[in-house]
Order: sequence, then structure tokens, then C-alpha cells
Amino acid sequence: MPPVPFTQGSLFGEADAIGYGSGQVYDEMVNGQGRLRPHWQTFMSTLGPLDAEQMAQRWEEARRLLHQNGVTYNIYGDPNGMERPWPLDMMPLLLPAHEWKAIESGLIQRASLLNAILTDLYGPQTLTRYGRLPPSVIHADPGFRRAVHGIRVPNDVHLHFYAVDLARAPDGRWWVLSDRTQAPSGSGYALENRAVIAKVLPDSFRHCQVERLTGFFDTFKETLLSIAPRNGGAGSGRAPRVVLLTPGPYNETYFEHVYLARYLGLTLVEGADLTVRDRTVYLKTLSGLEQVDVILRRLDADFADPLEMRADSSLGVAGLIEAVRAGNVVMANALGSGLMESMAMKSSLPTLCRHLLGEELRLPGVASWWCGNDAERAYVIDHLDGLVIKPAFPSLSFEPIFGAQLSAAERSALVERIKRRPWYFVAQEQMALSTAPVWQDGRLQPRPLVLRVFLCATPSGGYAVMPGGLTRVSSESGRLVVSMQSGGGSKDTWILAPRRADVASTQPRPALAAEPTASGARPSANDLPSRVADGLYWLGRYAERAEGALRLLRATQSRLIDSNMPGATLQLRPLLDLLSSLGMIPAEMARVTESGANRGLREALHAAVIDPDHPNSLRSQVLRLHRTAYSVRDRLSMDMWRVVSAIDRQTQPPKGRMDAASLLLRLDDVMITLAAFSGLEQESMTRGAGWRFLDIGRRIERSLHMVALMRGVHIADLDREDEPMQAATLSVLLELGESVMTYRARHLTSVLRTPVLDLLLGEEANPRALAFQLAALDRHMRALPSQGVGTGADPTGGALAIVAAARNSLERTDALASSEALRTLFDTLAMSLPDVSNFLAHAYFSHAFARSA
Amino acid sequence: MTPPAPAPGPSSSSGGLSTRYRVRHATAYDYGEDVPISHHLLHLCARPHPRQRIRRSLLTIDPAPAVRAERVDYFGNTVTYVAVQEPHRTFSVIAESEVEVFEPPALAPTESQPWEQVRDSLRGLSGPDDGAEITQYCFDSALVASSPELLDYARGSFTPGRPVMAAAIDLMNRINREFAFDPTATTVATPMAAVMRNRRGVCQDFAHIAVGCARAVGLPARYVSGYLRTLPPPGQPRLVGADVSHAWASVWCGAADGWLDICPTNACVANRDFITVAWGRDYDDVSPARGVLVGGAGHGLTVSVDVEPLED
Repeated sequence: MPPVPFTQGSLFGEADAIGYGSGQVYDEMVNGQGRLRPHWQTFMSTLGPLDAEQMAQRWEEARRLLHQNGVTYNIYGDPNGMERPWPLDMMPLLLPAHEWKAIESGLIQRASLLNAILTDLYGPQTLTRYGRLPPSVIHADPGFRRAVHGIRVPNDVHLHFYAVDLARAPDGRWWVLSDRTQAPSGSGYALENRAVIAKVLPDSFRHCQVERLTGFFDTFKETLLSIAPRNGGAGSGRAPRVVLLTPGPYNETYFEHVYLARYLGLTLVEGADLTVRDRTVYLKTLSGLEQVDVILRRLDADFADPLEMRADSSLGVAGLIEAVRAGNVVMANALGSGLMESMAMKSSLPTLCRHLLGEELRLPGVASWWCGNDAERAYVIDHLDGLVIKPAFPSLSFEPIFGAQLSAAERSALVERIKRRPWYFVAQEQMALSTAPVWQDGRLQPRPLVLRVFLCATPSGGYAVMPGGLTRVSSESGRLVVSMQSGGGSKDTWILAPRRADVASTQPRPALAAEPTASGARPSANDLPSRVADGLYWLGRYAERAEGALRLLRATQSRLIDSNMPGATLQLRPLLDLLSSLGMIPAEMARVTESGANRGLREALHAAVIDPDHPNSLRSQVLRLHRTAYSVRDRLSMDMWRVVSAIDRQTQPPKGRMDAASLLLRLDDVMITLAAFSGLEQESMTRGAGWRFLDIGRRIERSLHMVALMRGVHIADLDREDEPMQAATLSVLLELGESVMTYRARHLTSVLRTPVLDLLLGEEANPRALAFQLAALDRHMRALPSQGVGTGADPTGGALAIVAAARNSLERTDALASSEALRTLFDTLAMSLPDVSNFLAHAYFSHAFARSA
Repeated sequence: MTPPAPAPGPSSSSGGLSTRYRVRHATAYDYGEDVPISHHLLHLCARPHPRQRIRRSLLTIDPAPAVRAERVDYFGNTVTYVAVQEPHRTFSVIAESEVEVFEPPALAPTESQPWEQVRDSLRGLSGPDDGAEITQYCFDSALVASSPELLDYARGSFTPGRPVMAAAIDLMNRINREFAFDPTATTVATPMAAVMRNRRGVCQDFAHIAVGCARAVGLPARYVSGYLRTLPPPGQPRLVGADVSHAWASVWCGAADGWLDICPTNACVANRDFITVAWGRDYDDVSPARGVLVGGAGHGLTVSVDVEPLED
């Protein structure tokens, strides 16, 4: 490697002084002599002395911000892989303006080239007809989507968003490792990395004149709006509707889908939220069908439409391709764009570039040979030792095979495999990656890196590059594979603006740009997809269900621990009856009379708290709550999400055994966190349809729970019990209904059935009373959009009628007076109230998923 | 799912060079309850074919669809997209056509090229138009993935130097002999590996096996869906409504001989008794009726096919 001529010492002198030694490869920070490269000097001087304690503090700060912002990623197939915290290194990767300029122009050329190839292969196919590309390069590739061949896309743009993985060779040149053209991920993480690092290293960020990322996303948003077909909204004057289509919460980069949708001001939708009618795509919202003009897809084309692609896909939208064909909706990227991820085409790019653009390919790709071509295959078989064998097409997956590591037998087996189906294999030169400093174990250490850069189409038909990127570093210094999935980390990427003198004419930058900022308009209330309303509804139900279970467990547990509590022994009986009637403990446990003595009972209660395999345990309810919250995460505030995470943590099974007292303490903690959740519900959610559904869920669940409690203690037959038992039962009901204080304030001593029931059922001012729930339900349902997307003529009519009937029955003066009346009342309520849920579901939620026939 | 025809003769009774048929293919779904919307993709209109002329073709759909759009797919088949957008419990399509099928020229299987030559000739076949059209049938497809088992089986017919047509016909005869026709053995969802293992299936399965074997030795092969005229036993009237849609395979035999249609179910090379509707890489590309609906409570499906020769 030629020595870098610049030898001016940094403020810190030689890199050795900070204990940073780079190896034989190119290091991003220091040159061959171990001196800091010039573009790192401002950064290192603003960073200050590399004090371990201060760096640790900054690191803590970064972790806190990431946690607060809920930055996570998922690993498929790993039960513990959901919501991994995002690994971010504090040291950004710095690139100087002049170097970036070269990369930028090379990438823009490459994007135009790949788009031109897509335009040809999904159109006239002159490349394969006239020998520029072997036809097998597309026909052997499962990623070539025959169904979309011949569909014209606006302005011939197939590729609206594109990512490239780059690596730097020992000679200092950047090379293209791979192209991401299907639904590239990482740009949202790059934004989040920037937000965190700009806060953690504010001085460095300010002084280094770092290029901002927001302009790029503004351009992308403009492009998305500009490709909307105009015919749909002609005359209506409405703005085009752009949605982000996600495969859902279990996708590995779901966090990013939520983040980008918010950032770009798009509605986040899943396939089930969309429907195709008259070859037009509509969003199913609470107020009816809303036309969709542009779909930014994070869903692979294969899953996009069960009618024309994979029939087993439940993630897509039936008829979507026909809507695209009719020109009523535009996909970004166009369906089929994943074809350019094929490794088989890489070796042809230089010739194709000359042919299609009349230019030399500016940014080289890592040398690769496609075995589907006779000459290239012969080379591969002769030179296996120096090559890495990879799948030619992204849909085939096998681990890279390093030729040098094969035994003679493995080698001939591989050659046999290649010869049998040559088109499925490519070979690539093995490349030594450059290194960048990572803060680890209290010092800077060089780690291999791969840089992912993002491009978007511009409204005028060109491409723009995001001035930054997602730098990924490997976990160990010697690793050849850099991947987040195998434990690597990420870095912010700083493109340094040209020196001040060069930018005098450009607009002044705000001194402390709060980056990133959200751009574009928020989705309107009409955009509440029915699925999200459904999710929020169940979120309310599960939160309330968890609370109900918790109160019951806590009341029981406290009496088991402290039998000196007044009435403890007697009160245990109705409590155990309730636990058993609600399926939380086995029926035979309810018959235990000796308080505290029974070991089986203690174990049953323990299981009812923390056993995740027990369907009615508190833990199971919390898991449902967590899962549901996850599915509507884009609608919850950061704080609400943190509270949900806390509830999840607090109910995780303990490592060892937990004694009864600490179990009780744990229940108290969960109670407070659940209360925090309902507090945020009331205090930090806008009173839109989404909130209403959440609250409807809570009110219905609380109503059903109250009816279940009354029936569980056989309230109608309570007068058959002796007086102390009556009092014990009523006291338990008051406690579970959070109404002990109110009752005492009114009635002082005697606990009698009618006043207790008045308070828990009929008292509209008591937020725990049934009447309160019914009044709230009535209010909410009247405020819902009158036209649901279901088939019913009057979506809320049926539900409103049930609620009205229930309220009437409570208001009758004799309703709570006799045992007979009570029995009728609760039997009727237990029958009718669940139908409120059914009516709403029918009217507003689309549970019916598309299926193949 | 057509069972082997009782006695598939080399030519039809009229003795001429072509036969005209009236084909009626009725498909009816019962969804069990009202569904608000359903989308369908139909491969029911017979495609153009060098030995076949479509004289009339008509699709009758009930309930009347809100959207109906016809196009030609990547393989040259006619495909119809249909959407019914009002609540409906049943959905039916009746495809009626009048088709004239010409007798293929007499074959000289033993005079065709050795199969290796045909295979190797594909390498250079990147030239205008035909190359890509032919070679696209060389590769794995959704339902037909090559496997060592298929290759082993294929090698029993594709012996070194054997003329390609003779080898393909031998393959067809072996599948016919060694696989049992058994409508209870498989469904549309049965993977090919299971058919290979159990040696039982229906015409679709046999067509897939033949296609897979040809591809395993490096020859392009396509899956053909269509109808077969079932010849009545002497003295009895033709059974109406007993027929269903049929499938066979077509193997590329080189530039001189072109595509050879082989029917492993009946152990015969396609003649005037075979009416072609569509072809593709496998069943998935050309399934006669594919639909997606919202809701529904299970569905019943009734299919009937009448293939009636017309007297001139």
C-alpha cells in the first residue's frame, strides 16, 4: 500500500499513543505509519482525551437513549431473538467530502444501471434476446417474477429505494459487495444511530460539519408522492395516500418499519389492512375504504399477492398485482425489483454499463464468476482455493463456502454439485475488509467493517444518495463475515462537509440541528386501520384482564401470609372459589380450609402467577398483553411501550424459588406498573377512535369480570350462608372492586348485600361499578364512525341495544333486591355482554383473512 | 385427474387430418356462506398452438363479476382475472369452446438426435427469441424441484447416446408401468417427492415426474394442461360429464423435432385426442381456476368436463 503523504501529527500524536494498532489491512482512522488520517483530526480533538470513565458514561448515555427509543431488531427462529437491543458503537465512521463524492457518483451510476436492466428484463428483454445476458440468468432465478413482466411502471422507475454494501480493499478503493433492491433495510437504523450519537457527542458533531440526513428523506417522500397515479383523485383535490406495507411485528426489522412510517408520515399497514376492489387498492379504515395510491413495500414480492404469487402467503393482498397492472397503484420498489440482487449478473455489469449507459462502470464490484456461464465455471473450478462460493440467487440460501478450507473429498463433492446445477452458484474473490476503531474493553480497537449506503429515486428521474449510511462492524478482529445477526455492531457514519471556504455559498446550517426531525404530515384519524383498532381493543381487554387476575391473586396471597388479618380465614373461601371458577387454580384447591398450611395450594398459586404454560395465569395474561401491544406498537407512545416492557419483566419467572412474601411484593410492583399503564391511557392518548377502542376493550373486560365475580361467589344465593360468611364474601367483593374506602365512608360498619351491590353495580359515579362501564361504552360507541367496513347495516346498533338493556336492568328498583332478581340479572348479563364484543368485531374488525380457494 | 383411457387409439374415428370438438368445462364453488369478495385467476381459454385452432371461446361467470380482464401471460396462455365484489355464496365458471385439433406428423423416434446433443445445443441457444422461450423450461420451478431420485429415475431412460424422442417415450412408458393411477393417493398439495416414493398418483403427478426427469438430464420440459377425448367402448354412448381436466408433459427434442407431448397416464404421444389449454413450468403456472376470497366456511368444488367431437 502506498504511504499516505499527509504526515502532520494529530493533537494526540501517533496512534500508538492511544494504544490503537491496525493490521495489514486499510484502517479508516490511521495510515500505514500509524498516524491519524487528516479528516479524523477535528473529531479526535473534540472527543477529548480518551478517558475510560468518560467514554463509559457516554456509552451508558447511548444505551439509555436506544432503550428509551425502543430501538430493537428481531432474530428469526430464536425464541429469545425478539427485540434484541440494537448494538451501536460510539465511534462514528468518518469519510471526507472528496472521497464521498466519488462514492456518490459511482452509486448513482449503479442505481441508474440496475434500473435500466430491470426496465429491459421486465420489458422488451433485448439483453437476453441479443446475447448481452444469457437468458438463463433470469429464467433460473426464482426472483424473476414472470407475473409482472410487461407491466409498465411510471417513468420506467422500478427501483425507488436501493442500498449497496461497500467494503474498502487494502489499496484504499471502495468495492461493491452486494446490492439490495427488493426492500432494503437499515436506513431507519442509520437515522436512529445519528439521533443517538449526535446527542452523545454533541461537540464533535457540531465541529465536524457533518452532512445531515433529513434532506434525503424529504426527497424520498417527494418521490413517493410524485409517482402516485393521478386518475384516482382527479377533481377531488385530495393528496395521494402513501402507505408502508410491513410483513408485521415478527419481521426482523419491524422497528424500522414503525420508525420510517412515522418519520415519513406514512400509514403503517399490514396486508390484512388492504383490500382490492375494482382493481384499486383500498385501506380498510374505521370510517370505510380509503384509496391507496402508492405502497412503499417492506414485503418481498413473493408474498405480495396470494392470487398471483405464493398462494400460501397471508401477508399479502389478493388482487394487488392486477391493481398494479391497471395502473391504479404504484409499488415502490416495483414488484420484481429483487431480481437485481442476483449475484449471477454481477460479472456482466461492466459490459451492460457500457451498453446501456455508454459509460464505464465507476465503482467496481468484487470480482465474481457465475457458474451458469461455461467459461466462468471453468475458471471457478480451477481456482477454488482462492474463492468463496455463494448462492447465485438470494432465494437460495446456503452458507458461503470457503474454497481454501475444503478437504479433497469436500472439494470434489462441491465440484459435482456445481456441475449438476451450475446456475445456482457464483464464486467471489475473498476480500480483506478495512478496519475502523471500536470502543471496547476500555480502549479503541480496530474491527472489520462493511458500509451500507442508501439511495432513492428523485422526482426528476435521477437518484440521490443519503449522505451517511449504516456501518456494520464485526464482533472480532479476524472475522470475515460482518453481520448484525451474528453479533456484530453498528456505527453512525459521518460524511464531513467540504471545508468552510468551499461551502460559503451554501445555506447556513442551524448550529444545533435537532436531527432527525419528522417530515411530512401525520396520518389522519381516517387512517386508523381496522386491524389496529382491533389490536387496541384487545390491548385494553388484556390490560384489564391482567389487572383483574392480579387483584384476585394479591388478595388471596396477602391472606395466606397473614392469617391475623381480620377475617382472613373466612375470606379465603370466596377468594379460592373465585380463583377456581376463573380457572386459575384447580377446583380441588378451592376446598382447602386451613389457611397457609397447604403446600399444594401454595404451589397452585405460584403457578397462577408466573407459569407461562398455565393458560389463565397472570404471566399468560401479561404475555398476551405484551404481544398485542407489540402488534400496535406504532400507535403507543414510547412511555407506554416502556411500561409494557416493565410489566413483562416483572412477571418473568424468577430464577430460583420465590417465597410467599416476595411473591406478594412482586404482585404489588406489577399492580403499580399496570396502574401506570392505565394512567398513560387516560392522560397521554389523544381522544381519537384508537383510544376509544382501547377504552371500550377495558370497559367490556371490566364489565365481564364484575359479572364473573358476582356469579363466582354465587351472589344470588348468598343469603343461604351464615352472617359472617356473607360479610366475608361482600368484603372480598368490595376489595376486588376497589371500593372498600367508599363503602366504609358511607356505611361504616355493617357489610350488607344491597348497599354493596349498589356501589359495585348501580353507582354510575364509581369507576369500578358496572353502571360506569356501561355508561362509558354507550358514550364511546355513539362517537365511533357510523359506517363500519363490515356488512351490517348499523354497526353499533346491536351493541348499543345490549348496553341499553343492561343499563335498564340495573336501574330497575327491584333489580338488586331479591335473590331471584339477581340470578336473572347476572344470567342475562353473562349471556348478552359478550355479544357487544361480537357486534363490534363484526362491524369494525376484519378477522376474516383472505384464504385460497 | 383423468384415468387412463380404455383404448387410446392413434387416431380418431373420423379418419381425417383434424377433429373438431365442442368442449364444456364447468367449475362451481360453494363457499358455505356469503363471502363479500372473491378474486380469481382462470386458465380456461384454450391457447393458440401450431396444431390447434380455436374457433370459438366463451366464459360464462356467475354471479356476474364486477371486474373481468383478459391478458396473455409470460408463457403465452390466455388468463382471465375476475373479481366478484358483492356478497355471494357460490361461484361458477363455464368455459365453452370449439377447437379444431390437427393430427401430428408421423414420428420417427429412433431417428432423432441423441439426447446429449440436444442438451448441449442449448448452451449456445441465446439467440433471438426462441432460445429464451425454450431454455426457460430447464430449471426448477415451484412444484418441480430436481433431486437425485429424479435423476436416477431419468437415467433409466436417458441412456448414453439414445435418440431423444425414443428416450422420452421410454420414460413415458416406464412412468405408466411403474406408477399406479390412484386418485386417492394424492391431492394438489402432495409434493413430488412423495409421489416418487409411493409410486402412485394422478395425471398431474405423472406429468410433473416426466417434466422433472427431463429437466434432471438437462432437457427443457413443460407441463401441459388440457383435455382428453375419452373414447367410448364400442356400441355404447359416450359418457358425458365423466371427464375432468387432464395434464401431460412436453419435452424439447431439438430444433428439428421441436416439442414432443407425452402422456404418461395413457402411455401415448399426444395426438388429435388431446386438446391443449395452457402450458407452463408446472401446475402452479396454469392451474385452471385459482381463487382467493375473504371469509367463507369451507368450500365444495364441482368440476365437470365434456369433450364432444363434432361431426362435419
